[in-house]
Amino acid sequence: MLVELKVNGEKRSADVPPETTLLKFLREYLDLTGAKLGCDVGDCGTCTVIVDGLSVNSCLMLAVKATGSNVTTIEGLANNSELHPLQKTFEDLGALQCGFCGTGMLMSAKQLLDDNSDPTDFEIRDALAGNLCRCTGYTKIIAAIKDAAKILRA
Amino acid sequence: MATKPTKDVIDQKVGIQDTDNSLTGALRVKEDHPVIYPLSLPENDERQATPAVGQSATRSDARLHGLGQTQYIDDIKFPNMIYAKVLRSERAHAKIVSIDVSEAEAMPGVYATVTGKEFPTNSFGPTLQDQPVLADTVVRHFGDGVAAVAAVSEQVAQEALKKIKVVYEDLPVVLDPEEAFKDEILIHGPKSNTYASKVIKKGDVKKALAKADHVFTNRYKTQFVEHVPIEPHASIALWDGNGRVTLWSSLGRITLGREDISRTLDIPQSKVRMIGTIVGGNFGGKNEITNEPILALLSKKTGRPVKCTYTRGDEFVSSTIRHPFIMDYTTGINNDGKIVARKIRMLLDGGAYCSWTGTTIGKGSILAAGPYNIDNLQVESFAVYTNKTTTGAMRGFGAPQVCFAYESQMDEMAHALGIDPLTIRLKNTFREGSLSPTSQTLHSVVVEESLLQASEAFGWNRG
Amino acid sequence: MHMTPMTYEQPKTPAEAISILDECGEKAKVLAGGTDLIVDLKHKPGGVSVLVDVTRIPELQGIEETAEGLRIGSAVTYTEIMTSSVCQKLIHVVCEASHTVGAVQTRSLGTLGGNLVTCVPSADSAPAIMVLESQVTIAGKNGERTIPVEDFFVAPRKTCLEPHEILVSLMIPKKNLGKPAFFLKAGLRKGQALALVNVASSLNVVAGKISEAKIALGAVAPTPIRVPAAEKFLEGLDPTDENLKKAANMAVEAAKPIDDFRSSANYRNQIINVLTYRTLKSCVDAQ
Repeated sequence: MLVELKVNGEKRSADVPPETTLLKFLREYLDLTGAKLGCDVGDCGTCTVIVDGLSVNSCLMLAVKATGSNVTTIEGLANNSELHPLQKTFEDLGALQCGFCGTGMLMSAKQLLDDNSDPTDFEIRDALAGNLCRCTGYTKIIAAIKDAAKILRA
Repeated sequence: MATKPTKDVIDQKVGIQDTDNSLTGALRVKEDHPVIYPLSLPENDERQATPAVGQSATRSDARLHGLGQTQYIDDIKFPNMIYAKVLRSERAHAKIVSIDVSEAEAMPGVYATVTGKEFPTNSFGPTLQDQPVLADTVVRHFGDGVAAVAAVSEQVAQEALKKIKVVYEDLPVVLDPEEAFKDEILIHGPKSNTYASKVIKKGDVKKALAKADHVFTNRYKTQFVEHVPIEPHASIALWDGNGRVTLWSSLGRITLGREDISRTLDIPQSKVRMIGTIVGGNFGGKNEITNEPILALLSKKTGRPVKCTYTRGDEFVSSTIRHPFIMDYTTGINNDGKIVARKIRMLLDGGAYCSWTGTTIGKGSILAAGPYNIDNLQVESFAVYTNKTTTGAMRGFGAPQVCFAYESQMDEMAHALGIDPLTIRLKNTFREGSLSPTSQTLHSVVVEESLLQASEAFGWNRG
Repeated sequence: MHMTPMTYEQPKTPAEAISILDECGEKAKVLAGGTDLIVDLKHKPGGVSVLVDVTRIPELQGIEETAEGLRIGSAVTYTEIMTSSVCQKLIHVVCEASHTVGAVQTRSLGTLGGNLVTCVPSADSAPAIMVLESQVTIAGKNGERTIPVEDFFVAPRKTCLEPHEILVSLMIPKKNLGKPAFFLKAGLRKGQALALVNVASSLNVVAGKISEAKIALGAVAPTPIRVPAAEKFLEGLDPTDENLKKAANMAVEAAKPIDDFRSSANYRNQIINVLTYRTLKSCVDAQ
């Protein structure tokens, strides 16, 4: 089936078997390997991308369902030619260790800050409930999101 | 400083008309401008200058992580690459009567299959080489691989596994380590199920226990823990025309991996190139090979790069996990809270194969007495095979399990004797020059200072 | 994991969907958000080869207030419910329950209707809509029918839907819009957790006496259940702690929790007691 959508502002398309998930579509057909496969059943959140403004588990969404949508992945997070404040604060605070959960975390954080410019700690934790990290204990990730929110509000 | 990204509705310049408005409906489409390369990135700053101590430094991998450009094994793709899947036994203990891969091989899209008997040396392991690459005579736990398939896609490979016919003859199963210890059902027969042991002796524990004011006997048990690295195990193999095999792997210990490849495939190490990259979480679980020899052989047979990743289910059943410990602590302690003797017996659930049990039993035994001055000590530990997931290395190598035991018992004794839990620890703790359980003189010991500072910080009032 | 090869249909009307389902029988499955179905298909293909995506059917979308009450299409997502000011105002308990489902990503795709169709005993949306006396509308080749939501659940993972039928919409009757109602869920975690127990209660206090108390329990019986004994008991009583606690005890009597790897029946009974009391108390305090 032909899937035509916009990914990071660019028109992309590919002919894929209908049972292809959006995750496989991005990683294997479009070579956008930022979104990761961690569990494939929507529990770990490493596959998180933003579809029409909402963060979703791309491993649970069929690519064909995303036809006509606007998808934002980590590869599109940087704005114009600069890092997104989240990418900057994650780097500055050393929020990630092995980094595997990172792209999913950043996309969930982006959706949060797009909708809520001054999230409380609880709201940040709630927004990250679907993103698991085994390395860091989340503390610096949460701090980096708060810092990025501050930068975005300025 | 980045400016707040602008949000536009659908960009007409790119030429997409959203003809079906019911999809986006009431949702407002938020969209940033596409990323323009080259990115203007912040330069590494003065935090990279020495002196290093006391300075915070930017992690060298942080930039690529944030951009999503870090290449993990599963992100690597080669032209003509094919995909492998491994059939798992899903039996706890059984003899393999026959394996028939012919129907799988005949499937369109399948390039090759491999079974255990095709490996020149079908065994590996960091201490004992008791684990088969692919089981060929007997399966000893649910997660044992019995055959593998390489196909044009993962989906085809997955379907092909269903066509592999394995005939098993079920064997009696032993799951409980104490049952396994009895050697009534042998898992690696004719060897005893007890495959590792350690004894530490100091002083005269029998005499000292007899003289102690009180003797406490408690049993503590810990459970399986799986590392759950967010990145599943992944590897790619390429056997080239010069007879050299290159492996890209999420494996943490690549020199050990190279040894295992050389051994199992019977090729010199000079013909093995092992490439490790950023690992998405290890915690001990990626310390030994998994699929690498399988992929190497499949690549040899097909001349193609072959990739295989574990599913999350494989991670729980086929990758290594933490050893459960059964720990019996008999401690002689006087009325003033001074421990005079400690006798410990530990039984490690050693899973289907040895893996890193040697290190675990060693570390666990040495640390079992706790950071306490005990002149009369005996530790006896055993590791037994069971028909369960292989227990291997996991953060601490036995230390967390014994810590649970000795600290729990400390609290129980404190409670029974009416002594404050902090006081009882301070009475017994290591100090500068104390001897470890194996009589090593300890220096830079700050246990007492740490306990006092910590208890001060969280407001512990000593009773 | 990969799903087996599928064909994908996107009907634009209920009739189209019904016709495909009728033709394909067990080979076809209705796809809305996919947060349950796709997981199941990855683990157990079970001979399914046709996916019928119902999210483009207008009748299955929309949140609207009608003369009858509040109508919610079965393909409306949890996020749409939670961000709808109409839902927040009139059926806040359903927004609360929706918030406890999975995580943000689950809620962007997952639908309340899908939660009902998956029909696990622990379905989080069920107790909340049950205490508002919701009705569900089903369409099939023999026409439409509307039934109380309690009758929709038959057994674990089994609804009353015939293979050719689809769940079209949910209706919360006008008299219950804005009724004080509360939901609580106990899980091993605060997010991404399956309920050990979930409870909802609703009631009015009229002239100082409890009226129209409804209590629903999830995860403690083969399907989500109401507690008619406790509801009857409370009718006309003073809203005292003592009475609420007695009702909570009756909820425990009505439940049949099991021991499983997540929790014990004994623990679940204790939680039922506490959560029932707390939700009832919140209703009383919210009058």
